[in-house]
Amino acid sequence: MVNFTVDQIRQLMDKPTNIRNMSVIAHVDHGKSTLTDSLVSKAGIIASSKTGEVRFTDTRDDEKERGITIKSTAISMYFAVDKDEIPSIKQKTEGNEFLINLIDSPGHVDFSSEVTAALRVTDGALVVVDCVEGVCVQTETVLRQALTERIKPVVIINKVDRALLELQVTKEDLYQSFSRTIESVNVVIATYHDEVLGDVQVYPDQGTVAFGSGLHGWGFTLRQFAARYAKKFGVDKEKMMAKLWGDNYFNPATKKWSTKGADAEGKPLDRAFNKFVLDPIFMVFDAVMNFKKDKIGPMLEKLDVKLAQDERELEGKALLKVVMRKFLPAGDSLLEMIVINLPSPATAQRYRVETLYEGPMDDESAIGIRDCDPKGPLVCYISKMVPTSDKGRFYAFGRVFSGTVRSGPKIRIQGPNYVPGKKEDLFVKSVQRTVLMMGRYVEPIEDCPAGNIVGLVGIDQFLLKTGTLTTSETAHNMKVMKFSVSPVVQVAVEVKNAADLPKLVEGLKRLSKSDPCVQAWINDTGEHIVAGAGELHLEICLKDLQEDHAGVPLKISDPVVGYRETVKAESSIVALSKSQNKHNRLYAKAMPIDDELSLAIENGKVSARDDFKVRARVLADEYGWDVTDARKIWCFGPDTTGPNLLVDVTKGVQYLNEIKDSCVAAFQWATKEGVCAEETMRGVRINILDVTLHTDAIHRGGGQIIPTCRRVTYAACLLAEPGLQEPVYLVEIQCPENAIGGIYSCLNKRRGQVFSEEQRVGTPMFTVKAYLPVSESFGFNGELRASTGGQAFPQAVFDHWELMNGTPIEKGSKLEELVRSIRIRKGLKPDIPALDTYYDKL
Amino acid sequence: MADSTAFSSSGEDAIARAVALDASEARSTTNLSPSEFAEYYEIPQTAEVIRSSGFKRTALQFPDELLHDSVPIYRRLKREIDEGQELYVLADTSYGSCCADEVAAQHVDADAMIHYGHACMSKTYRLPVIYVFGKKQIDIDDCVSKLVASLRSSDFLSDSTPHKNVVFRHDVAYSHQADAIADTLRDVLCADNVTVSYSPIPRRLDPSPSPPHTDTAQSNTETNGSSVVAHTINSPAESDSPILYVGPSSLHLTNLIMTHSSTPIHSYDPTTRETQLESTRTNKLLMRRYGVVQKARDADVFGILVGTLGVASYLPLITHLRQTLKRAHKKSYTISVGKLNPAKLANFMEIECFVLVACPENSLIEAKDFFRPIVTPFELQVALQSEPQWTGRYVLDFDQLLAEGEAGAEDDAVSKGAADGEEDLDRPMFSLVTGKYRHARRYGDGSEVTKSDVTSGSSAVIIRNQDGTVATLKDSAAGEFLQSRTFRGLETRVGLDEPSYLEQGRSGIAKGYGDDHGRE
Repeated sequence: MVNFTVDQIRQLMDKPTNIRNMSVIAHVDHGKSTLTDSLVSKAGIIASSKTGEVRFTDTRDDEKERGITIKSTAISMYFAVDKDEIPSIKQKTEGNEFLINLIDSPGHVDFSSEVTAALRVTDGALVVVDCVEGVCVQTETVLRQALTERIKPVVIINKVDRALLELQVTKEDLYQSFSRTIESVNVVIATYHDEVLGDVQVYPDQGTVAFGSGLHGWGFTLRQFAARYAKKFGVDKEKMMAKLWGDNYFNPATKKWSTKGADAEGKPLDRAFNKFVLDPIFMVFDAVMNFKKDKIGPMLEKLDVKLAQDERELEGKALLKVVMRKFLPAGDSLLEMIVINLPSPATAQRYRVETLYEGPMDDESAIGIRDCDPKGPLVCYISKMVPTSDKGRFYAFGRVFSGTVRSGPKIRIQGPNYVPGKKEDLFVKSVQRTVLMMGRYVEPIEDCPAGNIVGLVGIDQFLLKTGTLTTSETAHNMKVMKFSVSPVVQVAVEVKNAADLPKLVEGLKRLSKSDPCVQAWINDTGEHIVAGAGELHLEICLKDLQEDHAGVPLKISDPVVGYRETVKAESSIVALSKSQNKHNRLYAKAMPIDDELSLAIENGKVSARDDFKVRARVLADEYGWDVTDARKIWCFGPDTTGPNLLVDVTKGVQYLNEIKDSCVAAFQWATKEGVCAEETMRGVRINILDVTLHTDAIHRGGGQIIPTCRRVTYAACLLAEPGLQEPVYLVEIQCPENAIGGIYSCLNKRRGQVFSEEQRVGTPMFTVKAYLPVSESFGFNGELRASTGGQAFPQAVFDHWELMNGTPIEKGSKLEELVRSIRIRKGLKPDIPALDTYYDKL
Repeated sequence: MADSTAFSSSGEDAIARAVALDASEARSTTNLSPSEFAEYYEIPQTAEVIRSSGFKRTALQFPDELLHDSVPIYRRLKREIDEGQELYVLADTSYGSCCADEVAAQHVDADAMIHYGHACMSKTYRLPVIYVFGKKQIDIDDCVSKLVASLRSSDFLSDSTPHKNVVFRHDVAYSHQADAIADTLRDVLCADNVTVSYSPIPRRLDPSPSPPHTDTAQSNTETNGSSVVAHTINSPAESDSPILYVGPSSLHLTNLIMTHSSTPIHSYDPTTRETQLESTRTNKLLMRRYGVVQKARDADVFGILVGTLGVASYLPLITHLRQTLKRAHKKSYTISVGKLNPAKLANFMEIECFVLVACPENSLIEAKDFFRPIVTPFELQVALQSEPQWTGRYVLDFDQLLAEGEAGAEDDAVSKGAADGEEDLDRPMFSLVTGKYRHARRYGDGSEVTKSDVTSGSSAVIIRNQDGTVATLKDSAAGEFLQSRTFRGLETRVGLDEPSYLEQGRSGIAKGYGDDHGRE
């Protein structure tokens, strides 16, 4: 029984002030999908009795089987807020009907890219925190991502039923635990403070924190209790809310509020939160769970809860669920919290436009986005592709930021490499249909105005993963999303039957489309490589590839890790390479780039597209570069964006600008395949010190310069203590104390380094954080489970590149062995080329 | 000459330049007695052929490593042939020395050629070629016993198919003993009920009857005796028989492995006296080529490299390649650079992939050092298919390729007609090299003109010169490339640069300037 119609929703879509786009984000197993159920049930999409069991947003079979969310799923809902609460909404609204576009996201770190894609199209986030486990690594990661996207959070402390039933804590302990959790959320929020967004820390007394149980379908904010007591005490609701949290005590004898925990005679007072909020809940739990039948009836009457005939027969947990759900329905309180506290697109796009749009802030598209104008030029960002029932076809899933998207008219489809004014990565096509995403179903709609989330049919073959749709010819792209995970684990896949090869290729294409983070390519040895964020991610991707996208049996190799080649010192002498005709010479030196700068380049803070003067200033001020050098950066590499720099430090060389293009091309080539193991280079700066060129242009053409520049880069690297960087995971493991020994022994065997071990206050659980090289992580989960009796749950996320000890050019070293094994795998000569292959004598 | 002040060197360098040679090849004839020498180079036989065929002018082609024997050979031959018959020694070829260089021979208007040393046995179409391979020593008994042992260790002999067959192949340098080896093999293997097929390598190739023939369908089916035999196995019964190969590891062997990927190949190296099952390499080699093919799929501008002037039907093949590329809306340039090296090819920066038309032995270029990938005509055909088929079959023979190419083109035309309705022309394709979508540029597309203004971006207009005049140049890959460069030729910056003092420049020549040894 759906209690709204598509028409109703379509009407609301025209009122951007009454839309809330929000995502549900949290650590794995903190109960996002279950909680989402209670919201969905409120909208009548699933029966409320099924809440907590169905997991409506888990649409795939493997999601149901494994009990984890893999893909983010969107659903649109209608919600009418109580008219009394309208004044609490601090932004412009019309009427009391709201459209809520909710996206449930996966919690496992391996699928963080799905979260990123969800966050981009929403303005607010419901952060779910387990009340027992507290803030975990993934909570922190997604919260950080949300804040950098300028997304406003509200928090729900979930699984309160566990605290009451399993841990049997006292009221004051529970309050303390709540406030600790909220504090740790606020610590994270405060770290990423953004002037424009203002104070987005969460406060229970402002109604931005909810408490509840997704499984049982109940939940509340202080607003509900404040509403109950406001009449009774005859005070304003907002004032009442403030009293219900923090150090506020009520003295029943004097009927006075106080901020001290004891009255005049020193008798301890009950905290208002404990007395007015927790007391009724504890009473219900006590009465129902201890089968105090006689008490239940009067209590229900007092709480204004009416049970249906058949519900009265229930006992124990089943009864508890029914009572609590009627007493404090989660759907109402959460949706209310969302509507009141999260921004509408009209509000949010005003401050988000700067972080969303690449172009100037005064062009028509930027203005359209800022005003969330349905009549402006169309600007729509596609954040991911959702598979349709039709094999191989996808819905382009995204958000309309400006204008209105409808089927028919031609629109410009701009891929991530589109540059305004050029025609690369640009298609002009029309949308076939627009649909509303409703979890596992879609509903066709005629058009979709600004501020809404939409699925588009018929443009999927022009977009790989993401893109910008627009009608404005001058529109720039929306900023590309930065993922918190990188595809660092690779496997080679091969078809068992050579005739299936075209299917594999098609399958790889579909796989790349369907997942924001996975990468598929072919390497020099002709192997098809699939790269994912972690073992689980790869496992799911390969399963999809084998069963769905390609549909053919595959041979899958053991996972391997991609390394990065770097240098550890400045070249000991100047490297010289001569061109084939001996008429041109390049002199260069290699030196390492600070890790911070490499990171800044990788995160797009310093990029090839920046104005060179601005970039030079930043490099000089923040990374200690010489300004003149910084202005003469010829290029980034590889792919013209990577963290290696080619810098011209020559003085007064004739014809130098002529060879720049050749050098840039050579640098891309050289940095893509480093000298030691043909792995990508990272953090290397090549200084061109001097150049001797032939006076005739024909003798200093690309043919002479490109191979020479590549060789001089290699020679300079070999002279500069080449090194390797390996990817390292940050692993967070939660476990009881007795399992810690097992964790340490497991980590030690695998070169892991523990850097933090904390006990979570009030629980027997410990949180161990460690760095673990990705190459050592294969099978780690299994081994950890075995050595801790299944009590430890690790979460591993790519953290950084770590410089490995030693250098591969030292004969017999560990690194040399590693490089040899990589070279053999790639079908190269096992030995690293000698210096004189690249270095020419005078 | 290093301290010479001349601007160019005297040219003495080029004359005095040492050529890197395969030492073992070069040394093999130095200690031979005159009679052995004549025997090694088959001088009496050669002279006899020249005499009996009455060739007026005969060109002798030597590879670099045998050049030192050219004079003695010339003298001896000269002594034995008739008066009025002339001999010419040719310098090394501009392409691979395994092919007969007909063009060079035509400079002296020769009517026959004698090719010394290793040969790829490609068909020629102008001149008859007499091959002298040289006679390398081989221990027949050891060779046969080791090959048979290798064959036995594989499970080929143990299964119970009634008629078994092996194919015997060898490096040309062992032709003089090939018959003997084949016979011995037959004797040994007949006990196991295995037949040995062997087709001798001809000593002389006459030009194919219909020079630059276009009737390729016929040439594919014809078994035309000698010339094809050396490279393809014709009868289907032989096609999946194991191959026994005698000879060192060489390009010839690699080609054999590539083109017969489904059959086991046992090789015997007479110098090291070891056998090896080569088929383990097959997959790796083919995979590597597959990777290169994928790169070719990503290219829009192709360079057709002319790597031979001797192999028959290279001209029809080049024409065919041009047409194929045009049909696929790719741009092609035809280039001849002689022997390939990275520097020469990197001069053509706008070309994204090269197709090398050369004799089979020189076709497979491991393009690690080259800036752009180099593919064979067969690989190009694979790359241009809309579906990436890669069955492991590999073709190097031109005629076969041409025949298939034409058949394929017809198929294409049919399927294109059928699919045209739904297929969108500028739909992007998924590039396996980058794992991203790629929007192919289309050259020679007539419909371009009718397209709406939205699609014709700024790259249609290119700058013609420094004065800021522009020109529209449709379909010019070079024009587009020039536009993307930062440096587009000399600019006269009159009045923009500060005047500066005249400085003493560098003196000397490129190999060693005057101040070279003073700097570090």
